[in-house]
Amino acid sequence: MSLIDVEGLHKQFDPPRGIVAVDGVSFHIDGGEIYSLLGPNGAGKSTTISMLSCLLRPTAGDARVDGHSVVQDPAAVKEVIGVVPQDIALYEDMTARENLIFWGKMYGLKDTELHARVDEVLELIDLVDRQKQRLDKYSGGMKRRVNIGVALLHRPKVLFLDEPTVGIDPQSRRAILDGIKTFNRQGMSVLYTTHYMEEAQELSHRIGIMDHGKMIAEGTHDELVKIVGEQTKVDLKLDRDDRALVDRWSALETVSKATAEDGHVRLLVTDARSVLPQLFEAAAEQGVRIIEINVAEPNLEMVFLHLTGRALRD
Amino acid sequence: MSRAFAIAWKDLRHTFRNPVALTMMLLAPLVLASLLGAAFGGGGGFNISATKTGIVNQDVGFQDFNAGNVVASALGSPDLKDLVTLEPLSSEAEAKSLVETGKNGVAVLIPADLSAAMQDATGTKKAAVTIYRNPTLIIGPGIVTGVVGSVVDALNGSRAAAAGTVGLLLGSGVTDQARLQQAGQAAVAAFAQEAQTTPGVAIQTRGPEVSGSTQTHKAGVAGQVLAGMMIFFMFIGASNAGRSIMDEDRQGTLSRLFTTPTTRATVLGGKYISVFVTILAQAVILLVAGRLIFGTYWGEALAVAVLTLAMVAVATGLGILVVSFMKTPQQAGALGSGVYLVLALAGGNFVGTTDPGGAFGTIRKFTPNGWLLNAWDITMRGGTLRDILTPVLICLAWAVVTFTTGTLVMRRRYR
Repeated sequence: MSLIDVEGLHKQFDPPRGIVAVDGVSFHIDGGEIYSLLGPNGAGKSTTISMLSCLLRPTAGDARVDGHSVVQDPAAVKEVIGVVPQDIALYEDMTARENLIFWGKMYGLKDTELHARVDEVLELIDLVDRQKQRLDKYSGGMKRRVNIGVALLHRPKVLFLDEPTVGIDPQSRRAILDGIKTFNRQGMSVLYTTHYMEEAQELSHRIGIMDHGKMIAEGTHDELVKIVGEQTKVDLKLDRDDRALVDRWSALETVSKATAEDGHVRLLVTDARSVLPQLFEAAAEQGVRIIEINVAEPNLEMVFLHLTGRALRD
Repeated sequence: MSRAFAIAWKDLRHTFRNPVALTMMLLAPLVLASLLGAAFGGGGGFNISATKTGIVNQDVGFQDFNAGNVVASALGSPDLKDLVTLEPLSSEAEAKSLVETGKNGVAVLIPADLSAAMQDATGTKKAAVTIYRNPTLIIGPGIVTGVVGSVVDALNGSRAAAAGTVGLLLGSGVTDQARLQQAGQAAVAAFAQEAQTTPGVAIQTRGPEVSGSTQTHKAGVAGQVLAGMMIFFMFIGASNAGRSIMDEDRQGTLSRLFTTPTTRATVLGGKYISVFVTILAQAVILLVAGRLIFGTYWGEALAVAVLTLAMVAVATGLGILVVSFMKTPQQAGALGSGVYLVLALAGGNFVGTTDPGGAFGTIRKFTPNGWLLNAWDITMRGGTLRDILTPVLICLAWAVVTFTTGTLVMRRRYR
């Protein structure tokens, strides 16, 4: 049985005319699995995680977490989830220990159990030495660690992380990703939202790709990459924008997709080796100079490009 | 419940670690009360400092009568000993110099021919008592001027009596000048004697009666001012404490709280407890400080305790109501202060506790501030719990209505 079952989840703000942020999303997460929701900003990832966290009530559909409905029994759902919000949600005028004790109480921990668990979490996030320092004296990376530590206090069955690496340095990012793998090895399931393809690729057992509130593809990394077949991504930097050239390239038999933006052209091609001379030839005829060219093997970004015609960062 | 207390404790720690909040809650009302108390005469009682008054009595008198002595004895009356300190001086120059150098507040200069002018039944002789006053002082010189004016009016009355007597005799056919003069002088003497024994002005310093009980204490100026400041700053303090819910909303900690098994009602409950305890602590500290610094008598212990709780309840309810309608902490700060200022102005927080009566007294009754001030006025003058039942019940009604409305709005907002 799945740990999380999401069925036709739908969220419209200010109905009936408000925007539809999530439109009939369904997926499941098995116990012990890391599942990533990948998509650009505004895809509906955070709204989905907010509904699963019982912060937002779905307009339609439902989700069951550990057998409990987020609509019917949110209190039971909250007992088994740990939520790490995108922004640091802690009390800066309190020490790390004070924060953990406070949040532990909010999760219903008491007395000896509370203090023992706070000690364990401080070890886990490697802040034992600085536990008595106020958070406003901490670096961004240290605050992130406490932010995650709070969600681990009550030993949740599943951890929800909403873009936890946005705006942080590479070292802290690496520490967070490694930490998530560790929690998962200890048996914790993880729902992770990100718009960084590499993170989803590195962490996830399975990935759901979202765009405009819909789940447009789902599966393991390999399954998703197969969607684009044997295609290769070719990125070209031109000395100027030229719509006619992009149209000519699009018309080539081996080019399945072409997008252009600010002198950058991205192509999905079936046979890179044979298409490259044709690309240069067409450019020469149009009087456009190719400044840079990158050829990449199939990846999630190519999947997104293939499915939406847009780059993941758009 | 323990979760609500944990939230309250966390908020209390935040408030009492914030020097700006503490300044607004505790220091500002004490400083303002000190300044206003000093401006109105200082001290804990309604005591206007005695005005040092130099008197130069040059009146040589007329026969057995000396009008200058009447003025001097009126100013030196035991009734005025708390208000006027009289210093007989020999020259006008010396008296004026003492006023100019600030050593005295007033100089009363009585001319040599005052009595003669009073005895002149024909009204042709003129004499004037001069009041030389320090223009920066208002209350003390005003009292001296009032007393002197009253005595001079009485003396003028004696002259009118003499003129009337002479007129009556002339009308009845008496033409003997010696007899007319004798009758006139007798009338003046009789009138002046009356004025001398019964000064034309009697000043008693007392506060308003306490309804339903006998006043046993004076309500000091500093205490009255501090009561007004305490209420005003408690309302602002409650709003600031209540604002923490919006701060948490902005910081994301409120959303995070809502992802924990702690219910929304518990979160709001914790916030309310923190507001109540913050304001209660503020009230207790200000009441103790008022007692220790200004010697303020706040009233009978039970009445003070009940009134303090009513005051805290009103402040909490009002704070929650104001905050519930505001969208951002900044809005709560700016608009909330405006609301409290209007209530304070209408309620009379800046003019002492005494009911001024009239239109302003009526307006006051539409604000919780006015009722709280009214209750403090009663307890500070020795009133008991029974005497303040009406204002306390009205304040509790205010608390219930504002708290309920604020809570309904909050619950709808954070459901």
